[in-house]
Order: sequence, then structure tokens, then C-alpha cells
Amino acid sequence: MRPWLLFSLLILWVTAVSAQEEPDPRLVRAADEVALAYVITGDAEVDAASEAGLRGLSQVLTARTTVEPGEPIGIDPDRDDLSLLTFLYWPVTGTQAPPSPQAYARLNHFLRSGGMILFDTRDGDIAGLGGPDGTAALQALAAPLDIPPLAPVPQDHVLTRSFYLLRNFPGRYLDSDVWAEAPPAGAEAAEGAPFRNLNDGVSPVLIGGNAWAEAWAVDDNGLPMFSVGAGFEGERQREMAYRFGVNLIMYVLTGNYKSDQVHVPALLDRLREEEEVVQ
Amino acid sequence: MNGLAFDPLLPWPVIGTLAVLALLVALWSVWQGLRGWLWRGAAGLAVAAALAGPALESGIRNKLSDIVILLDDRSASQSLPGRAAQTDAAVDELTRQLTALPDTEIRRITVADDPDGTLTGAALTRALAAEPQGRVAGVIAVTDGLAHDASMVPATAPAPVHVLLTGQETDWDRRLVIEEAPAYGLIGQPVTIRLRIEDQGAVPDSVAQTPARLRIMLDGEETRSLDLPPGVTLDLPVVPKHAGQNVVSISFQAPQADVPELTDRNNAAAVQIQGVRDRLRVLLVSGAPHPGERTWRNLLKSDANVDLIHFTILRPPDKMDAIPVEELSLIAFPTQELFMQRIRDFDLIIFDRYRVRGILLPQYYDNIRRYVEEGGAILVSAGPEMSSVESLNLSPLGAILPARPTGRIYDQPFLPRLTEEGSRHPVTSDLPGAPVEGAERSWGRWLRMSEVIPGPRAQVVLSGADDAPLLLLGRVGKGRVAMLTSDQVWLWGRGFEGGGPQLELLRRIAHWSMKEPDLEEEALLADVGPGLAVTITRRTMDVSAGPVRITHPDGKSEEIPLTEAGPGRFTAHWTAPGPGLYRLAEGEIERVLALGPAAPLEFEETVASGAALGPLAEATRGGVLRLSEGVPALRTVREGRPAHGQGIDRPWIAITPREAASVSGMTHRPLLPGWAWLVLIAGLAISGWLAEGRGRLRGSA
Repeated sequence: MRPWLLFSLLILWVTAVSAQEEPDPRLVRAADEVALAYVITGDAEVDAASEAGLRGLSQVLTARTTVEPGEPIGIDPDRDDLSLLTFLYWPVTGTQAPPSPQAYARLNHFLRSGGMILFDTRDGDIAGLGGPDGTAALQALAAPLDIPPLAPVPQDHVLTRSFYLLRNFPGRYLDSDVWAEAPPAGAEAAEGAPFRNLNDGVSPVLIGGNAWAEAWAVDDNGLPMFSVGAGFEGERQREMAYRFGVNLIMYVLTGNYKSDQVHVPALLDRLREEEEVVQ
Repeated sequence: MNGLAFDPLLPWPVIGTLAVLALLVALWSVWQGLRGWLWRGAAGLAVAAALAGPALESGIRNKLSDIVILLDDRSASQSLPGRAAQTDAAVDELTRQLTALPDTEIRRITVADDPDGTLTGAALTRALAAEPQGRVAGVIAVTDGLAHDASMVPATAPAPVHVLLTGQETDWDRRLVIEEAPAYGLIGQPVTIRLRIEDQGAVPDSVAQTPARLRIMLDGEETRSLDLPPGVTLDLPVVPKHAGQNVVSISFQAPQADVPELTDRNNAAAVQIQGVRDRLRVLLVSGAPHPGERTWRNLLKSDANVDLIHFTILRPPDKMDAIPVEELSLIAFPTQELFMQRIRDFDLIIFDRYRVRGILLPQYYDNIRRYVEEGGAILVSAGPEMSSVESLNLSPLGAILPARPTGRIYDQPFLPRLTEEGSRHPVTSDLPGAPVEGAERSWGRWLRMSEVIPGPRAQVVLSGADDAPLLLLGRVGKGRVAMLTSDQVWLWGRGFEGGGPQLELLRRIAHWSMKEPDLEEEALLADVGPGLAVTITRRTMDVSAGPVRITHPDGKSEEIPLTEAGPGRFTAHWTAPGPGLYRLAEGEIERVLALGPAAPLEFEETVASGAALGPLAEATRGGVLRLSEGVPALRTVREGRPAHGQGIDRPWIAITPREAASVSGMTHRPLLPGWAWLVLIAGLAISGWLAEGRGRLRGSA
């Protein structure tokens, strides 16, 4: 009896040590392949939609852009190390148990070090009508996070042109506002550029209710899993949802690159002028 | 100090009234025809005078001696040939003459060298302030007249100020004057030093006609030489070649003449120009958006000294969808402009996970290679694409990259470590938190890297999995190439397993590529401390460093041994014997160090001149005389008289005895004692009475 007990203890110890020593292979893969990640909420239907949605978005990215993400992964904030991830999709369900304080510490570090969370309340159809919506659940989940002051995404935000030119950010629903870090006061007049020079720090959170994962979701055959709108208009909205997804991931990965590109012609012009002066 | 004082017994109005009454009585007597009117009036006035109490006062005086300030200038400019002996002779002779004068004290003031030059004016002001104004009988300054504080020379003095100038009538000097020199200059952009040659004193005709042949050296290397006639201002363009101190030394040979010029120490000057870099232009080319891209952007955009031009390939040419262009926010990559026309404007090109996918034409890669060979820099931060067929190594650029991939990718966590070379290389040495044996905490691990075979001349400064090279630095032609064989430096920024100093490492790699002098692996640094103390640091990739050979301004050389202060760092402390241009050399590295002012202040001007002290001498009726005409004789004259002149055999100068005295006491003696007043008044009254009576006096009146 005793040797058996010792042996099992030894095995437990060894696995514990190696679990601490070796990073989770799923996360290593996520770091290598820029895999998109979602938070596992415990609601099987929502989690399946998240995974399918991110898979659909990954396929679109791979087909259309240089970003070629691997298979999406589900994250349990209580357990997983977030420092290997860049983007986290977090559907708000209202039934999810709030993460532990340690998990919030990790989430805050994730946000501070350049990660981004997209909170999706998936209530774009009913929000603002006065009925029960995801606001309370979102507040409960996000209160312990270090989130800067938020404002609706303005029309000149880099998110509107990080790959496609977009006017709004539809998902399965069309009309709800998307919120991002508020631009600092006085940013309007920066350098007389046509766009505001928002700090290169990317907004650490985006909050909206358009149920994007459901619009992106594809099944194993590559067919859409959820209906969006009706008829041709609906398909157009789904395309726009994909474009938002592409812009979003570009924004996560390249920051304000597109905002800066406005200055590139000016910089090149300056090189030209200096050359003339020197000659 | 003698005088009459009054000590009235009654208030002055009473005495005055008494005197007026006496006069009235006398007038009344005249009117009445009384014969004794004179006596009566005199008696009344005598009473008034007695009441006023007249007394004689006198002081006790002690005569004070006169003070003569004898100032001798012992600054370095007085050490020119003959001047010291002249000064000694003059001071001795004047001291002898002054001691022979009765009641005369000598105050000797010696002016020595000061970092600010010869401060004769300040010394004079101080000496005059220290003596009582009434006793100073004269000031005699034996000097070459070259005061560097002309504004401090007092405007006037209570006694004649004589200036006895050393030097000869035939003294002359040709000197280099730096009129204007910039302290800073952009590297590669010309700055202007304005200078001229100036002749002073009795310049021989043969010299006055000939221009000086200027030799101009930049950091000890001769750059050009040219002829410059005296008195003509020259704008000399100089191009700072590197960051930090650029030493421009300008000199000319002493002109040939029968009488040589006074000194050749003002024939050269060293101008230090701090080379400053213009804004650095960095072109960042990302092959694909990836998590590490924002790390590069954060680094380069937070650096105020960097202009970043960033391009990311968002959509490769082989992926086309049917979306109209106006719905896309993509712009074409201006490859022709960037890699053919503007490439020389960039200080660094970073290829960040760039894969060769037909966007850049082969001639662009050839051009990039030329750009590097001519002094440019590229930095390759490679992901796994380096081990694929889309590797940059397979492009024409591959020929200059410091390593070639084997095709194997290490897909395992590893800890970046400093190699032996890395611990000495400034890019990686002293990186905070570097892993050391036995330490609890160190950097976080990275998860993926490509295996490469380093080129023969590449320096491997970081190693990763299985000690395979992780960071390689190489030189190609005049340019530099750096290669990071993993793309996961961003994990340090994210804090994975504690993270690491990713911004500092990337900053150093980028700036090393751009030849930042602080990151040069072979460097000879000299920190000038207070005074002439110099800390010499030799940074090298070698295991040892020999002694530093220091060549002094006079051509003498010495060797200073270096002691190891850390991996690849050897230091020595040394104090220079004097200001000037020193040449430090160790191995193949040379460096010129200019200590002290551009040209020695004392020898800027050397021809003796009364310009600085002349006005003071004139204001005090003193003289400016040349000692070459003989030490003047000393006389005394009254104040306000001319105090110098030409005697029969030699000139003379004079001091003005001040007759100063001190009063040590005071005596107060009544003019007449009380009884004498009584006798006087009574006598006058009786005389009046007798005159008016029938006395003897009547007949005579």
C-alpha cells in the first residue's frame, strides 16, 4: 500500500512540476500562429458559436490577407496564461461565473501589455429598448478590469480603415454602438492631419452588442451557421461583419499603422525637400 | 588741527545782547561827547568776550608713511624669453629706490596665472581697496600689459599709476584668431569656422607680405591646407564626421624672419565640435501583421529622434477578392520610390518577418545590398519564414546576411543567453536581468526560433535553443547587418514568464546598426572630469587591451596601462599635465582629445601693450613706459603735478607723498584765565574813568 502511495505522490509531483515548467502547447501554438481566442463561458451554445465564429473569421483572414491564424482556442481565464495571446473574444452571457481575483490580475496585465478584449453583449436587437439586456452582466464582469474611459468609436477611428473602409461595424445585428477608449481631450487638432492622431496605444477593450461571432460562424462545411438579416441585404451585412472582423484583427496587430500612413507622403516629401536643400 | 573754540558761560543771546548794549553805550558816549567812549565800549565788549569763554584747541599729530603698490606680473605670458629677467631687474631696482625714500612702504602684489587669464585689473582693484586712500602715493605695475580683465581695471586711483612694460621694441607676433566656431554640428552637414591671421607688433616687412600656410586637421587627419594673408577673414567649412567630439585643429608654421616671432603657441587652435545626428530615418517593412509588430512600432515611435516610415504587407499579391478598390483602405507599397530612389535617405531598414513573395523585384534587393555596402544598415527579424523557400536568404540579399538558415525550426521553449562575445558586446552586455548561473529569476523564455549557420565574420551575441545563434551582428563593406532568428521578442514585452528587456535590446540593436558611438564594440572613450583628469575607457571584443599610448602636444609620448573593469571594458585614470591636444592610441583605435581652451589664453596675445592699463595711467597722470628703454628713475612730486617725464639719461616716474598723519589726541586751553579777564575789564573801565576824569590821559587825548 505504502509504495503505491509514494509512487502516486511522485507522479503527481512530477506532473505538477512539468505543468508549471512547460507552457500549455495550445497557447504556444496560439502564440506561433496568431490564433484567435475566446473566453469559455460555460454556456455550450455560446461557446460553440464563439469557436465557429472565430474559425469563420480566421478563414476569411487567411483567404484575403497576410494574416493566417491557426485554429481558434478557448480560454479559461482562471487557468490559462494570457501572456501568449493577443486577442480575446468575450461573449457576455449573464450566466457566467465571474473569474477569480487572480484571473482578473492576469486579465489586467494582459490589457496593460498590449492585449485586447472584445466584449460582445450579443443584445444588439434588444439593447436600449428598456427590456432586459446584457448591460448588467457586462458591468458585473468588467468592473474589476482596468478599463480606461470609453466613448463610442468615432467616424475617424483607425478601426474604420485598418483594412477595409467601414462606416459601421455590423455583426448579426446592425445598429448598436461600439465603444472604445475615449480619445484624449484636445486630440482633435493634432498636426492638422485629417484624422485624429490617437495614441499608438491600441484601445485595450472594444465593447459592442452586435453578436459578431454568430455572423462570422461557419460550420465544418464552411456554411454560415446563423442567419443574418434577410436575403441579399443579409448577405451584404454578413460580408460587412467579416470586413469588421478583418479590420479588428488588423487593428489588434498593427495598432495605429494605418493612421500613421496618412503621414507617409508628408515624410517622403520632407525627404525630397531636404535633399534639395543639401544639394 | 589748531583752532579757536568757544565755551560760553551764558547762552549766546545773552552774550550778544551784552555786546550790543556795550556798543550802544559807546555810541551814546560818542553822541554825548564823552571822552572815555572808547574805553567804555571796549570794557563792555571785553565782558561779553569773557562770558563767551574763548579757548585754544590743538591736536596731537603723528606723521604716517606713504604706500607704494608695486605690482609684478608673473603670468605665463611673462615667461617669454627675456621678460622674466626684465621684470626681476625692474622690481629690484624700484625696490631699492623706494626703500631709499623716507617714510615709504612698499606693497608687493604678484599676479599669477588664473584659469581666466591674467587678472591684473582685479588684483589692482583689490590692492587699492586694501590700503587707506590717503596714504597711497603711487602704483607701479611691472607687466606686459596683457590683462584679460580690462573691464576690472579701476577707472582712477588716488595716486599716479605707472605701467612699466616688459618686452622689446622689436617684438612681433603672428597669431591665429578664431572669431566664431560652432559648438555643435549635424553629422555630414558643413559648419563654418570663421578665423583670421593677425599680425601684431613690429612685424618685419618680409613677413607682413607673406600669407600663412594653414594646415587643417580633423581628428588628427590632415584634411586640407591653404594660404591665408593676415587680416583676411576666412570662412572655413568643416564637416563633422561622427557623433561626439570632432576636434578640428588649425595651425600654421612660424614665419621665417631675422627676429623670430615671440611665440608659436598661438599659431594653432583646437576647435571642438560636438557631432549631432540628424533625425534618424527608419524604414520598417513588416511581411505580415503579427503580434510583435506593435513592439517595433512602440519602440520606434517612442523614440523622438526617429522618423518611422512603416509598411506592412496586409494583402499579398496572390490573394485577390472581388471587393472594389474604393472599399479598401489599402495603398500600393511604393517600392520603386523606397528601394530605388530614396533608399539612401534611410539610416536603417528593418525587415520584420518579411517573406519574399514577389513584391520586391530582384534589382531592389541588389540595390539594398549596395546600400548596405556603402554604409547603410539592415536588421532582419526573422520568423519561421526564414527557414522556408520564401526566405530573404534566397534573395540577392542573402549574400550579405550574417547567417544562412538550415531549414530547421526549433519549436521548443528556450532561454536566450549571452554568449561569450555577447557579454563583451555593447549591444548585449549589461542587459538588465541577464541569466546568470544560480540566479532565481531571469528572463522569460521564447518559444520558437530558426536554426542558422553563422557566417565566418558574424558575431553571435545571443544564443537560444541548443546554443544555436539567436542574435547575430555583422559588417558588410561600410554597413551593418543584424539578424534575429526568432520573431518572439514580443513575449518579453507581454511579460510571459516574467518577460525581459525587449525594448532596450531592440533599441540597442537598431542603434548599433545606425553606428551610435555609445554602442561601438571597439571604442576608445575619454571622459574629461574636473580639471584635467581623464578617465580612459577602452571597449573591445578582445580578451585583453594593451596600454594606451598618449602623445602630448609637445610630441612626447607616454604609455598608460589599462585595467579590466568588466567584460570587454578596460579603464585607466590619467591626469593631463596641461591643456592642449592629446592623441590617444590603443591598437588600431586612435582618438584626439582636446583639453582646455581652444588656444592657451595666456598666449593669445603676446606683444606687450599698454592698452588695458593706459587709460588708468593717463587718468592719474602716471606714465606707460617701456623697460627696454631702461628702468626709470624715481622722484617725488606734489599731488596734481605731472608724475613722469624724460630725464637726462633715462625717463623718470614720480610718486606723490601724501603727508598723511593721524591725530592721537586733543588739547583745550582757555585763551585767558579768569583773573586776566578781570584785570582786562577792570583796566579798561578804569582807563575810561581816568580819561573822563582829570587824569593824565586827558591831556594827551
